[in-house]
Amino acid sequence: MNCEQYREAIAADPSFDGGAGHLSECAACQAYRSEMQALDQTISRALALDVPQLQMPKLPEIDTTKVVSLSSRRITIPTWLAMAATVVVAAFIGFQFVSTGIEYESLADELLAHLDHEPAALRVTDVAVTDERLTSVVPAHVATMDRSAGLITYAQSCKIRGRDVPHLVIQGEYGPVTILLMPDEMVDAPQSLEGDNVNGVILPVGDGSIAIIGESNERLDRIEAQVLKSISWST
Amino acid sequence: MQSSENAAERRQRFDKTVGVYHQDMYRYAAWLSRDKSIAEDVVQEALLRAWKSLDALREDTSAKQWLLTIVRRENARYFERKRLETVDIDNLTASQAALLAEQPNEELDEMRHAIYELDDDYREPLVLQVLMGYSSNEIAEQMGLKQGAVLTRLHRARAKLKEQMKRQ
Repeated sequence: MNCEQYREAIAADPSFDGGAGHLSECAACQAYRSEMQALDQTISRALALDVPQLQMPKLPEIDTTKVVSLSSRRITIPTWLAMAATVVVAAFIGFQFVSTGIEYESLADELLAHLDHEPAALRVTDVAVTDERLTSVVPAHVATMDRSAGLITYAQSCKIRGRDVPHLVIQGEYGPVTILLMPDEMVDAPQSLEGDNVNGVILPVGDGSIAIIGESNERLDRIEAQVLKSISWST
Repeated sequence: MQSSENAAERRQRFDKTVGVYHQDMYRYAAWLSRDKSIAEDVVQEALLRAWKSLDALREDTSAKQWLLTIVRRENARYFERKRLETVDIDNLTASQAALLAEQPNEELDEMRHAIYELDDDYREPLVLQVLMGYSSNEIAEQMGLKQGAVLTRLHRARAKLKEQMKRQ
């Protein structure tokens, strides 16, 4: 490590403890390190603003009966034969609940909660995900998709109703727009979806559905048409 | 009965979580928005959102990052709604000026001005690192950047602050 490399590392993080060999032999870098650490102490003190007393907003009542934990569910076992079959089913269901932790009353509720659980996905950016990433999240056996729906800035495989679901984000006019591809989640008719500052829709597509959720003022009709044109189920 | 117990437990969990991280939420909001009044509004909105989606928080050990992410998002929403203009440091509102007039200490006052004038791209990772104790990896995840970009921004942020402090 030379002086330039060491100073870059220290300036990026004054607690950097690498480069001990270089540091022991370089008085100038020792001085630089002390200077940056002193600077950081001042930064830290300057950033630590006085915080006003916590004013809790009026919190709406939440119907906790909508949230059912696995432990409160009971499975009845009518016969030995049925029990054997139930064990297999229960193991599968159990896996699903362990993976999500919560049972939601409706698909819409789960989708909205999912958005809040993964807020990092909703960043404004102009950096598209790579083709490799997109292909791994939307594999060919699930769906084929082109990029005509918009700039895809996030792609992640997520659990919805216990199933792996491609979670994509494109950049809309008013902010990021979430798209969840649910090839196994059939809905009878389009369902509108409303949450805090968001609006969305779950569209029936073949034997599955696609959820599109944007900011409250986002015009989704145009995006819906683009998304439906860009995606087709493989099965 | 069960329902009211669940509700009480839920509220208890929320109060405990918020109690621990409220200061971080406020300071993060204040340095993102550079305005104390806006920070208070953003924190209020973030608390409401956190309350509604508390059941989505699986591990309490992730609570800090979860809350700060909500603050970040609410701050972006706030500015999107208000379409606020860039802050001119020579023409601050009382609430913006209040952020800079925290403590009667010349060195800290100068540093606060210098941080205030940093671009958002530099100020935010610095706040996350120095104030919140985030690693460069965690900052990268929070801001949707590559780790290298975070390190560059942190390096430049400190270089700018150092330069600014020398000038004053």
